[in-house]
Amino acid sequence: MFRLQGSKVLAVDMTGDAVKAKNGSMVAYDGQMAFKKLSGGGEGIRGMVTRRITGEQMTLMEVKGQGTCWFADRASEINLVNLQGDKLFVESSNLLATDSGLRTGTSFTGLRGASQGNGLFTTTIEGHGQAAIMSDGPAVVLRVSSQYPLTVDPGAYIAHQGNLRQSFQSGVTFRTFMGEGGGEAFQIRFEGDGVVYVQPSERNSIAGDV
Amino acid sequence: MTTYPGTGPVIHDPSTLPVDDNVNAYTFCVELKGSEWFLQKGKMIAYYGSMEFNGIGHGRLDRLVRTSFHSPLHASDWVVASGSGKMLLADRAFDVNSFDLEEGNLTIRSGNLLAFQPSLALKQSIVPGFLTLIGTGKFVAASNGPVVFMEPPIRVDPQALVGWADCPSPCHHYDHGYMTGLMGGLRALTGMGGASGEEHQFEFVGAGTVLLQSSEALMAEQAAGAVPNQAGVPGGGGAPGHQGQQAGAPRLPGQLGDLQRRFGL
Repeated sequence: MFRLQGSKVLAVDMTGDAVKAKNGSMVAYDGQMAFKKLSGGGEGIRGMVTRRITGEQMTLMEVKGQGTCWFADRASEINLVNLQGDKLFVESSNLLATDSGLRTGTSFTGLRGASQGNGLFTTTIEGHGQAAIMSDGPAVVLRVSSQYPLTVDPGAYIAHQGNLRQSFQSGVTFRTFMGEGGGEAFQIRFEGDGVVYVQPSERNSIAGDV
Repeated sequence: MTTYPGTGPVIHDPSTLPVDDNVNAYTFCVELKGSEWFLQKGKMIAYYGSMEFNGIGHGRLDRLVRTSFHSPLHASDWVVASGSGKMLLADRAFDVNSFDLEEGNLTIRSGNLLAFQPSLALKQSIVPGFLTLIGTGKFVAASNGPVVFMEPPIRVDPQALVGWADCPSPCHHYDHGYMTGLMGGLRALTGMGGASGEEHQFEFVGAGTVLLQSSEALMAEQAAGAVPNQAGVPGGGGAPGHQGQQAGAPRLPGQLGDLQRRFGL
């Protein structure tokens, strides 16, 4: 059972079950806990190879036991996500913890990843359970529906959930090369039905410079 | 529509997002209805609707720029958002706040200003590194920690100053009893003997408001543009970002020139 203690510490109550969490993110625990490094995020040999090839690497540990375990990472804001059979797409660097029952994998993101310097792949989380994602500043959750498509700055995007199509928009024109660009040359447009998480801060990316 | 119960935070859509107000302490929502806003490059994080972001040098915007933008030399840091929809602004997870001016004026540190309505005119301040907004309208500013409003007369720490409204008297104040003389020189030079780090303040008197941030961590400076190299223009002739280093300006401790002046050499 995930719960937030303040906005920057995740508390997980466990009764013999397990969670997957970012390596080294445990700050305290109460009770009996065992920590085990998961090579390749517990996705097996195939997952390990995929992650190595795609560059979407993450080091996870499995925490198992009885009691309460607290997680935090560099005072990042933590957001809880409930999954009910749907899929969450998140940057591996923004993932803090998931229920061990959730499946993680990698997926191709196309040009969006390239524009924010995160590589061409992203992490997917699937199944029934809870996940905790991190953001620089509290995330704003924006709903996307058929009448309300959403456009997001790649540097502020952290995750999305639901049945969404994403397309990459580039506003690079000859003016960009003359130093008079609009400053928002790369954007991702989400259409469909779901929610998008954005953080009130932009990662350094090549998109931020044009 | 699918729902995600227990997602925790509020899920926003265009009908629940505020109009020209804060979504949370770090995110500000602007509504555009065929109108325009000036924003610092790269501060848009997401938007609903259809919008266009154009550099200020864009030809179509020439007239707008002429009426509300008077700092031609740092125009490349600003863009004009136009269109209709709702747009979210944020800056490196700093606190953001909007302020309304009514036939007023406000001077703000250049790095703190995020966005403003074109009904305001933006001009370079005579004080290097600061910008002045004049007119009626709304602007959005970022600060490191929430902003506090103070009434003059007041002396403030230079790093905590965000800006000031309606009081035309920003001046330096030195704690002279502490800073002059042989001991003062040595204190400033070595940091030994109990230099408190608070011997120098900005002083404001008169009617108005002074805006302070609740931290002494400065926001990264935005170049406010060079000023014409003319006699009598403060900071004139200096490259952007290298202003205020003329004779008479406080020098960094450790420079011999300071010590010589103190000892009257």
